[in-house]
Amino acid sequence: MGLAGNAAIVGAAQYKPEKYQTAPQMFHLEQVADLAHKALLDAGLHKDDLDGLVINGPQFHEASVFVPAMAAEYLGIEVNFAEVVDLGGCTAVAQVWRAAAAIEMGLCQAVLCVIPARMAPLAPDEDPAWMAQAMRYGGHSTAFGAPEAEFDLPYGHMGQNTGYAMIAQRYAAQYGYDQAAMAKIAVDQRFNAQYHKDAIFRGKELTIEEVLASRMVADPLHVLEIVMPVAGGAAVIVASKELAARAKKRPAFVTGFGERLSFKSPTYANEMTVTPVAEAAKRAFAMAGLTPQDINAAQIYDCYTITVLLSLEDAGFVPKGEGQRFIKEHNLTWKGDFPLNTHGGQLSFGQAASAGGFSQVIEAFDQISNSAEGRQLEGCDNVFVSGTGGVMSEQGALILQGG
Amino acid sequence: MATLKPMPAATKISAPFWQALKENKLKIQQCNSCDGWIFFPRNHCSHCLAHDLDWKQVNGDGILYSYTLARIPTMPEFSDEMPQALAVVELAQGVRINTTLIDVAEEDIKIGMAVKPVFDKVTSDGETLLRFTAVNNAGGVSDYVDPLEGLERNESGQVQVPVSNLAALYALADNKFTGWSNTVVVDQELINAFAELSGDDYWLHTDPERAKVESPFKTTIAHGSLVQVLQSRLTIGLPFEITGFKTMVNYGSNRLRFPAPVPASSTIHGRSKVKDISMSHKGVQLTLEMNIHVLGNDKPSVINDLVILYR
Repeated sequence: MGLAGNAAIVGAAQYKPEKYQTAPQMFHLEQVADLAHKALLDAGLHKDDLDGLVINGPQFHEASVFVPAMAAEYLGIEVNFAEVVDLGGCTAVAQVWRAAAAIEMGLCQAVLCVIPARMAPLAPDEDPAWMAQAMRYGGHSTAFGAPEAEFDLPYGHMGQNTGYAMIAQRYAAQYGYDQAAMAKIAVDQRFNAQYHKDAIFRGKELTIEEVLASRMVADPLHVLEIVMPVAGGAAVIVASKELAARAKKRPAFVTGFGERLSFKSPTYANEMTVTPVAEAAKRAFAMAGLTPQDINAAQIYDCYTITVLLSLEDAGFVPKGEGQRFIKEHNLTWKGDFPLNTHGGQLSFGQAASAGGFSQVIEAFDQISNSAEGRQLEGCDNVFVSGTGGVMSEQGALILQGG
Repeated sequence: MATLKPMPAATKISAPFWQALKENKLKIQQCNSCDGWIFFPRNHCSHCLAHDLDWKQVNGDGILYSYTLARIPTMPEFSDEMPQALAVVELAQGVRINTTLIDVAEEDIKIGMAVKPVFDKVTSDGETLLRFTAVNNAGGVSDYVDPLEGLERNESGQVQVPVSNLAALYALADNKFTGWSNTVVVDQELINAFAELSGDDYWLHTDPERAKVESPFKTTIAHGSLVQVLQSRLTIGLPFEITGFKTMVNYGSNRLRFPAPVPASSTIHGRSKVKDISMSHKGVQLTLEMNIHVLGNDKPSVINDLVILYR
């Protein structure tokens, strides 16, 4: 059961992460068309090859319903497979496996997976404060009847930081907490960002001391262990084996995936420190017939350092409770013995809303296709990618393999 | 009253939970079909999906499952709680609840520590939030504290509210009218002067002879905008004075209505109430609803939601 490995990522496009204030403003439809054009050029395929579309639903500027239809019409394509994914930071990974599955089922041959994440131009009478207002409660719903509106917000439980912080605190109580090891995740990734021309923190190196001296946001998370929101956007083209043979670059075949959604608030998890990626990764590895030891690079979703630690453990790269020791004993840079988030991770590359998850997918593709200029791993055939949405609520895993 | 912080909106499903808290009791649901306990309130059991739940009173003993100390407010409105001791408590029945810890020193907070409930009265009408404290603390009921209590008053008796005291600012928005102002007579002379100044010399305002015959009011009436600006001649005793701001900006009006006419020679008076206080990047925004009535008429002639920005 699962994928046969007959679909591959063949092309990608990703906007350089930029601060919201200075980034170009484009309608999301425009971004979709622009990213599609760039990704098709990267693949060496043509618009007429596209017959599938997977797009983000929430936060799509020009529509809240019928998003695929509006986007397909704007692109000028007809598709046999149209899908919206609403899994936060897990959306990119989730888009890719859905596209691969649809292709393997014979529904379609080339799928555009896309998330626009630059701001749209303001309407003539639009108050620029709307975004701050909209973001006020983070991912928390304020709708009447929403459990989190009723039982979280009145106590000040909201946004992402404090949820992740509570997971980290519980981990600390169960297994101990080594602040320097956690900081090293951010530091090694920052090293990698120095070798990616588009990384937002390129040119700004970082030390463990600087991480530990940075402002405490919510114990035990320092501000430099927390991702920075940026404007951006990304797309990949997933295509059939037959089309992939025509692609310009070495394709990255999707040979395994898993997805697990366990809760909205980690308060209601069976155990807060056992994350959904455990189940997702187990399925992905089994489907691909690989083990964590076969992996040449791990592109682990990194909204916070704690996300990386728990994902490394739960995905099976290191036994539970030993992640911090592992981090200290290994060089996690692209030059090291355990290449992790070789683009800098979202912590140092920048997090363009839910398109941030594509930074990991695209880095995996870049490494497999020998396009990781300046930071290219040698003989990179097998890459593990994870995605995380909400507060460790939903996670996905992909195994990508060079053909 | 407007509350500083988001408040729970009870639903038909959850109402027994909130009502119990008001009565200083903790009730959670248990399934009659599988005996499972659940939280948050639902109409079905999240263990077996049966629609057979009963509310049971529990004593609220639990352990601290996890917590964090938020050093940056999760919303500006929580800045009086710094650091926010956000916590997850696991009750003896196994369910977990998002809450905050109170009266526990930072260094004494330990995951796994025993905790017990505190019924925290957060509004003057007894709305209650469920917080927790260390098991050897007093616990029980935490009484409502009026944020305006203890603030200084000026010689006119107005309570002095510093613009930085968000809790007190929010308490001002009690939607209660002030007493009536002094009165002003709106005679034809004043109406004519306004007609000349504004250029609006429509006969309904300026021609008493024609109005006697053709006006539905059988007389001339004042311009709505005249009555609106006469607010400046009305002294309304606000029970408070906001202090400590750098600038105060008259930001305009959110709503301006002229529901009832003011016939010439009427006597008018006014009153106001604080309708809303909100925070934005622009500063603290106070919405003052100003009503002007013809003496004796219940229906206002002017409703004006004035917006004032303090920063």
